[in-house]
Amino acid sequence: MTFLVRRLIVLVSTLVTVSFVVFLIPYLTPGDPARKILRARVNDPNLDAESVARLRTQYGLDRPLLVQYADWLLHAVTGDLGISYTARSPIPPMIVGAIQVTVLLTAAALIFALAIALPLGSIAAMKRGRPTDTVITTVTQGFVAIPEYWMAPLLVLAFAVHLRVLPSAGWTGVASMVLPCLTLAMRPISYFTQVTRASMADVLDSPHIIGSRARGLSYRQTIWRHGIRNALIPVVTLFSVWLGGLLGGSVVVEVIFGIPGMGRLVYDAVLNSDIPVLQAAIMCIVTLTVAISTVTDVVYTVINPTVRSANVSS
Amino acid sequence: MSLLDGTRTSALDSAPAPVRVARSARGRRWIDIRTWPASLVIGALLFVVVVLTLILTPWIAPHDPAAQTLSARLTGSSGTHPLGTDQLGRDVLSRLMDGGRFSVSIAALTLAISAVVGTLLGLVCARRRGAFDEFIMRLTDVLLAFPEMIVAMFLVAILGASQSTLVLALVLGGWTPFARLARGVAIEIDSRDYIEAAKSLGCSKRFIMMRHVLPNALSPLMAHAALRFGHKLITVGALSFLGLGVQPPDADWGSMLADGLPYMSRSPGLVIYPGLAIFVTALSVTLMGQGINVRRNRRT
Repeated sequence: MTFLVRRLIVLVSTLVTVSFVVFLIPYLTPGDPARKILRARVNDPNLDAESVARLRTQYGLDRPLLVQYADWLLHAVTGDLGISYTARSPIPPMIVGAIQVTVLLTAAALIFALAIALPLGSIAAMKRGRPTDTVITTVTQGFVAIPEYWMAPLLVLAFAVHLRVLPSAGWTGVASMVLPCLTLAMRPISYFTQVTRASMADVLDSPHIIGSRARGLSYRQTIWRHGIRNALIPVVTLFSVWLGGLLGGSVVVEVIFGIPGMGRLVYDAVLNSDIPVLQAAIMCIVTLTVAISTVTDVVYTVINPTVRSANVSS
Repeated sequence: MSLLDGTRTSALDSAPAPVRVARSARGRRWIDIRTWPASLVIGALLFVVVVLTLILTPWIAPHDPAAQTLSARLTGSSGTHPLGTDQLGRDVLSRLMDGGRFSVSIAALTLAISAVVGTLLGLVCARRRGAFDEFIMRLTDVLLAFPEMIVAMFLVAILGASQSTLVLALVLGGWTPFARLARGVAIEIDSRDYIEAAKSLGCSKRFIMMRHVLPNALSPLMAHAALRFGHKLITVGALSFLGLGVQPPDADWGSMLADGLPYMSRSPGLVIYPGLAIFVTALSVTLMGQGINVRRNRRT
């Protein structure tokens, strides 16, 4: 229980810290903070000095900073973050749409990565030390060194420009998802393969595998009944870690392929200094990432007794 | 320190003799390249070639990287321009060599700061434990929750795009793994017998830290640093690619790649070569990291 409590304290303190810094963005960036904050409220980029002075009192911008923060947080929690500078429209629908796109893209890329990495890692573990293992290990480890912004243009060049079988950009259907997913999956494939190989190798050496082989189960049956299931635990943890990581890490891929996801939203907000959108997007990404990692930790602790005792005692 | 000089040393020295032999033998074996795994040899060779090329660029670059020849734009490879020219008629090879100096030095700088700060904090945590340790570890929890790109874009939004913002952003998230690793390794080493022996001989905590814990923690930390370097290099390139890192007129591999995208179907080299440069450099250091790990596992 202490573990759960501590995890929740981390969760809450992270969110409070981040939200305070995010709240401060208009004050930290160059220019008059009041003007920037009012612009997000009244949807008019060209306020004269007189109306700024009037609205400043009306929106309570002359109050102490902490009071303003509490007020802002209250609005933010109810989804009221003002109006986007560029789109001139309320922000929640923009965020919701972008999150759906990014979650779909990320999940598809990770499932694809698992589909490649699980068999590869298992084969490498079963053929440990043989040439098959060396080839799989070396090649997948090399994947880590491939930059997405290189992989993506190369794929576009091959499949869109020369072969003309897939669209080069856009978000129009399954065909347009193939190249972005392939690009995003490279690094996860590498890590998933290594982790699968390591945990599979551990499991294959463990007494219960040797025991079931001794009881007369065939190698294949042993792997299916006992090996895969136990080897999956670390992989599942890694999966959720990556899900969180990619939510913010797909910026490059979204920009290259013109995908209207969260990364693209943040990127455009930074380029256009669209402060309210930036605030909302960063809050959402951080909340999601922290929530995912907390849930993973807690679930993992509940499932795995060894970790549970270690976490409780420390 | 008094244990190591003066006459008392010789008397004490004979007791832990096997340990000393093992240490010096290990020190010698590191220099012996024949004992290195293949990945370490290949990675180190590649890396030395890349770094030497980048250091010697001002003398060996075939052209001035900024010199434009508008009449010879987007040409393919030729005798005078081995990798062709870009959209402004600049020599691609010279620009690659020049751009690499930015990419590699920024990645190395951020890694060095992250590694030193992280390792020191981790060691202090392992030694002091208690509230300080708890605070630093919770801080790493918080920082690890942020995707690196989001931190970087957030800082760019506040501070504006520049090289120093880039370094700051990468260090902010970069020291945490080192702190955790150093702390973990130090706590593990602390439980070994020779530390117990050193303590019972009356060595100070600081002496044990510098003489025993740090040297033994160095190998896993170096392996980790090597594995992180490729990642840093790619992230630096990604931010420059997005226009949030190295600013014109300077160009690194990431921004060169981005500049080449509009001309990709006509001169694919403008996109292929900068990416290849990042890939090869990142791969060489990653191989070195794996080699160090292989070697470490072989030993224990």
